[in-house]
Order: sequence, then C-alpha cells, then structure tokens
Amino acid sequence: MQDIDRRDFLRKSLVAGAVLTTCPTWLDAALPDSDLVVARNGAPAEMVRQAVAALGGMSQFVKKGDSVLLKPNIGWDRLPEQAANTNPEAVAEVVKLCLEAGAGKVRVLDRTCNEPRRCYMRSGIEAAAKAAGAEVRHIVESRFQDVAIPDGELIKSWPVYRDAIESDVIINIPIAKDHNISRVTLGFKNMMGVLGGDRGALHDKFMTKIVDINLAFKPSLTIIDGYRTLMRNGPTGGNLADVAQKKTIIISADRVAADAFAMQLFDINPAEVEYLRIAERRGLGHLDLKRVKVKEINFGA
Amino acid sequence: MITLRRISQILFFALFVLLFLQARYPYETGLPSDLFLRASPLIALTTMLASRAFITTTILALVILALTIPLGRFFCGWICPLGTVIDASDHFIQRKRRPARQRESLRLRSWKFALLILLLVAALFSLQLTWFLDPIALLTRTFTTVLYPMFTYALTGLFNFAFKLQIAEDQVYALYDAAQRAALLPFQQPKFLETLPMVVIFIVILGLGMVTRRFWCRNLCPLGALLGLFSKYRLTRRFVSPACTQCSICQRDCKMNAIEDDYSINNTVECIECAECVSVCKPQAISYRWGVNPGANEIDLSRRRLLQAAAAGIAAVALVKTAAASRNRTGLAMRPPGSLNEDQFLDRCIRCQACSKICASTGACLQPAFGEAGLEGVWTPIAVPRLGYCEYSCNLCGQVCPTGAIQPLALEEKNKIKMGLAFFDKSRCIPWYRQDDCLVCEEHCPLSDKAIKFDIREARAPDGSMRTVKFPYVVEDLCIGCGICENKCPVVGAPGIFVTAAQQKRITL
Repeated sequence: MQDIDRRDFLRKSLVAGAVLTTCPTWLDAALPDSDLVVARNGAPAEMVRQAVAALGGMSQFVKKGDSVLLKPNIGWDRLPEQAANTNPEAVAEVVKLCLEAGAGKVRVLDRTCNEPRRCYMRSGIEAAAKAAGAEVRHIVESRFQDVAIPDGELIKSWPVYRDAIESDVIINIPIAKDHNISRVTLGFKNMMGVLGGDRGALHDKFMTKIVDINLAFKPSLTIIDGYRTLMRNGPTGGNLADVAQKKTIIISADRVAADAFAMQLFDINPAEVEYLRIAERRGLGHLDLKRVKVKEINFGA
Repeated sequence: MITLRRISQILFFALFVLLFLQARYPYETGLPSDLFLRASPLIALTTMLASRAFITTTILALVILALTIPLGRFFCGWICPLGTVIDASDHFIQRKRRPARQRESLRLRSWKFALLILLLVAALFSLQLTWFLDPIALLTRTFTTVLYPMFTYALTGLFNFAFKLQIAEDQVYALYDAAQRAALLPFQQPKFLETLPMVVIFIVILGLGMVTRRFWCRNLCPLGALLGLFSKYRLTRRFVSPACTQCSICQRDCKMNAIEDDYSINNTVECIECAECVSVCKPQAISYRWGVNPGANEIDLSRRRLLQAAAAGIAAVALVKTAAASRNRTGLAMRPPGSLNEDQFLDRCIRCQACSKICASTGACLQPAFGEAGLEGVWTPIAVPRLGYCEYSCNLCGQVCPTGAIQPLALEEKNKIKMGLAFFDKSRCIPWYRQDDCLVCEEHCPLSDKAIKFDIREARAPDGSMRTVKFPYVVEDLCIGCGICENKCPVVGAPGIFVTAAQQKRITL
C-alpha cells in the first residue's frame, strides 16, 4: 500500500472539502425543475379538479389498483368554517379523483390532537370522504411501526402508521394555517399526523426534526388547502374573524416548493423559513421558486 | 314468579349497563345516563337534606319511595343493579346453602339502620356521606373506575392482537369500529386514580357473600334500610297455605333471612319479595297476595342503637369538618365547569363518578380526588390536567350529574367559565430554562385569542451563544384553566406549565 505524503493529503482534503461544501448546490442542480399549479377564486372541489388536471391528471400519480393514503388535517375539534382542519369538499374531490384514476382503495386518516371522534365528525371530513367513496379510518394504537431514518440528523427512527408505510401512494392535503412553532403549518407539519409516539418531544429543535421526520415518507403529491385560511390564533383557531377567504389551492409533487409557494398566503419570504432551508439542503425539493414552473388558474377572472 | 323476578333483574341490570355505556361523547341517545342514580331515595333524601333544597331531578326516587309503602322492597329484589350483581356473585361463590349460618347473623341486621341514621344525621348537619354506601352510587363508581376500564383493556388487547396478526384487517377493523360505535370500546383507554381502594371495597362487598347470601343487603345497605322502614306496613303479604309441611326449606333459602321460625310469618321490613320461597316450596304452599302481614314487622333498631348512631353521625360531622387539608394540594382541586360553590358542591356530590365516566370519553381530565379536596372531598371529581384536559367544545359532565352539583351549561356559557389558571414553571419550561423554542402549550390553547402569548427576545443559551427565543407567558384574563397546555407539555415529569384552581368561577344557587 502506498503512503500518502503531506502534500497529497492536503490536496485531497481540499478537494473533498470543496465537494462537501458545494454538494447541496449540486444536489439542487441535479433535481429537475418542479411543476406547481395554483388555482384561485373557485369552489374547493373545482379548484382541486382543475389544478390536478393542469398538473397532468391524477393518473400521473395514481395507477390502477394502487392503495392511496390521503392525509388531510383532521387534528382539531373544529368546524370547517373555523379553518382548523382541511376543507372537507377538497378532501372529497381528491378521493373522487383517485378513484377515477383507478385506485384500488383510498384511505383517509389522521392522528388527532383533540378527541378523535369529535375531530372526524365536526371537521365534516368523515362524512364527506365517506360519501366520495373513501375508507375513513380511526387510528388504532397497535398499528404503528418503527421506521428507521438513517439520514435523520436528530431523529433516527420513529413509529409511523402502517398505512403510511404500506400504501402505494401518499397524498398530503394540509390546510395552510398560522402556527407559531413552525411560523405556518403546511405539508411538512401535516405529515406529523401519521406519527405515533410522543409527538410533543418533536417540538424542541423542531425545524430540524420536522425535516428528519419527513425523510420517512415521500408523498407523491402535496395539495395545500388555502380556501379558508386561519391567519391568527392557529393552529386551533375558533374565531371566524381570524379566518381569511384566500380561496386558493396549491398543488405540486415537490413538497418543498408547495410549502414555499404557500408562504405567499401569509406574506412570508420562504427563504426565511428555517425548515424549508434545511429541507432544500437535504435535497427534498426546490425552495428557490425560480426552479419551479408555476401554472395559474383563476376562476374569478 | 321467580322467573319473572329474574327477568326483571336482568332487564334492569341490562338497562343500567346500557345507560352507563352510552354516557360518552357524543351522548346522542337522549337517554339520561343518571336514571338509576336519580331513582335512589337515599341519594334524594340525604342530598336534599344536606343542601336544604328541593332537587327536581330526584322526583323518580320519591315515586319509588311512595310505591314502596304499599309494595314493599320491590326495588331491592327486582330492580337494584347491585342486588343483581350480588345475587350473581352469591350464586357463584356459594353453591351449597349453609343452614346453620342462617339464623346466626340476625344481630347484624341492625347495622344498616344504624348506618342510615348516621347518614341522615350527618346530612342534617350538611355533611354528605351517602356517597360511600349508597348502592347505586357505589356501583356506578365501581363500574366507571374499575370494571369498565378492565373490560375495555381486555377487549382492546384482543383487538391489538388481531391487528398484529395482519390477517383480514378490514374485517377486524369493521368489528373494532362497530364495538366503538356501540360504545363497548372507548377511543382511549380510561384510567383512574383511587382504583385500588374502590376495588377493595367492591371485593369485600361481594366476598361477604361467603358469610351469608346478600350479606350487604341484609346488614349494611342504608338504602335497603330506608326502603325497609317504608315497607313495614306494605299491602302485599306472603301467604302460606295449610299445605305447608314445616320443612323449613323456605327459611333456609331466604336470601334476606326474613322468614321467622313460624314459617308462615315473615318480616315485612326485611322481605325483598324475591319469591325464592315460592319456588323452593315443594307442596307449593306459598304465594304472594294483597293484604296486611299478620305480624313480626319489627325494625331491628333499639333506642340505644339509634342514639349511638345519631351520636356517631354528629361526631362524624365534627371530625370531617375540622380535618385540615394541605393548601398546596387544595389549590389543585379544580372542579368541573359549572360546579356549585364548594360548600354546596360537597352537599350534593355523591361521588358516583358519572362525570368522570363521560369525561373519559372526551378530554379525560376528571378524576376522583384524594387529598386535593380535603377529607370532606374524598373521591369528589377534580380535573387532573397531567392525565387529561377539559375539552373546549364539551359540556357533558354537567348533563350527567344526578344531583346538580355540576350544573348543566350551554356550550357558550361553559366556554367562558374559568376552571382555573395556568402558570409557567420557569425552571422547567424549555424556552425559559434552556432557551430553546417549544410553544406546544400555545399550539394547543383552544382559545381564539390565545391565552398563551410569547415575546421574541435575544437570549444567552447555556453554551454561551446568543439566539432568538420565543418566551411564552399566560394572559390571566383570557385563560380558562382547561389544562390542555399542562396535558400536552412535552417536559418529562412535572410540567413546565401547570394549572391551579386560582380564580376558578363557581355557581352559587
């Protein structure tokens, strides 16, 4: 074996260092540009339908016979007008689109923060999704399974609901809301609803942990419900005066781009949001919206 | 007649269980879950005596008391769910009757009257003690804190096992869903404090069946004593025809030991009309008829015993009312929203845990107190936020309280009622003690003008670096003390935010 002399060592270290420091940019450059569709000023269902069509149709994401997990936000014992849970009409429309694309089954579930029945019933999601043909399931505690997250910085494994592990397709349907821990709650935060264990423990060093957790699954599509938007006192809300009628639906297969774009609803510069910067650095998608092709659909015009 | 009685017992017990089970969110059936509690004349009398108020929800109990005058103790023999449980357990414990024991225990019968006098005298001086011994309150409490949690734990275990097998998951889930919809299974496993003493009492009551059948009903039950007093001049009688062969089997088999040595005579104070004697009589000499009983209607209570019991009642009042309680702990006794002021609350609360039962199906904060409410408040409901929180859109506890200790409130009213007030423990709260962001409490605060707000400030972290941290604080005027902040606080052990009874709002009637 050949000995390495000092000069050689220094040279190699410098090269390695340069590679490592520029690596994120490489990763980003390696990712192709993303597509994103934003629909405005329509009813929730028609906006969802048209936006999905503009993105190339649901059959891009859902194949015949696929099992699909829809993950809306059903976290709170609140009514649809209070905008704490995902819009039930939007959820129902996604269910229909999946079934039209030939999905074998579509499941809707969330691990709630308030009492589960209250949340499922009062959010209107249970009734709407069932009527559209989905299986609406309550969380069963024994159906969580530990998932290894080898690339996680702080979280190396976490119990995840089996449907999120076993489904062929995950579609994440968060509602955009004010949230003082993560500034706003969108797609990344919404995926906490398939996590077991003590989720409170994630809130300390939250920005890193929320990205770690999202390494455990890859939603095929993120559909952000910005129809009614809770601007203050989130994520629970309750006061209609805090709800703005933004009438916006944002969809993208790039989960970072979807969350970044949705920051507009709150007049927040996405580059200032720490978890998005971390997510981009780890190669989960584009934070730089110059790398995102945005298609606008306006129903009001 | 015995078949008819058994059917009645089974039906009423089934009704008791059904009403018990459906006391859960969303409580949609419209059936009053506290029906049996409202039907207990003992609860009605002592509560009205202690609170010096007429409580309209107890009208059913007064009807039962009135019916007892002509009909006798039909409630004990045909309706009382604890009596039914004891009958079943006696049957299980004691296959063979032990005739020698039967007449021995006659002396003990006076105990129940003494206990009744004690409870009534205590109630007269505004001390509610009925909760400890009333059979309906006792059974409701035991069902809530012991039997139902045990049952659901076992059933949930069975389902968990089935889910783990990962076979026919859709069918298993359908069953699971059906069990939940039928209220057999709760959404969260109920867990209670104070289960150990409660289960010991229950086991003792059933275990006394090893001494004699219906030992509790014969000798201890103060509700039975009250109904016995009212049924002394009942208009139904046990009629023994001349066909009687004096075989004594009816006396031996009498659950209540109510048949005298002259088998044709029975004690109207003790007889619960169970008709066991009718069915065991070989020559079929026994029947129940309308009419006045020919004799032997004495109440086993001497004047001396009566005075002793009354004195004990007065002593109990003085003892309980003068017991000190730690202020650190009484400050944690947060009552359910809509509770009467503490004196009136204690006059009325019968510790049936009906409120805790229904609470366990939503926020799960209500628990039987031990030291938090002093000696007088043992097993009264308090909110224990580290175990559960008061669900913002829930007002069910007030709807199931049989005595009005918790008043029913409309949701808008309930949302404004302060149960207590939250405080930060800055030596344990994550942003305060180590300058890291957390805000889980603020996230869960259900108020739409959040009672937890925060300042954003530069702070020096333990490692010496400066960082920007969100420091939370409580806005006193907004906080309603629901306790979800304390419940969800991720700090291990004592929480970084906790709720006390400070500023709690109570109702005065």
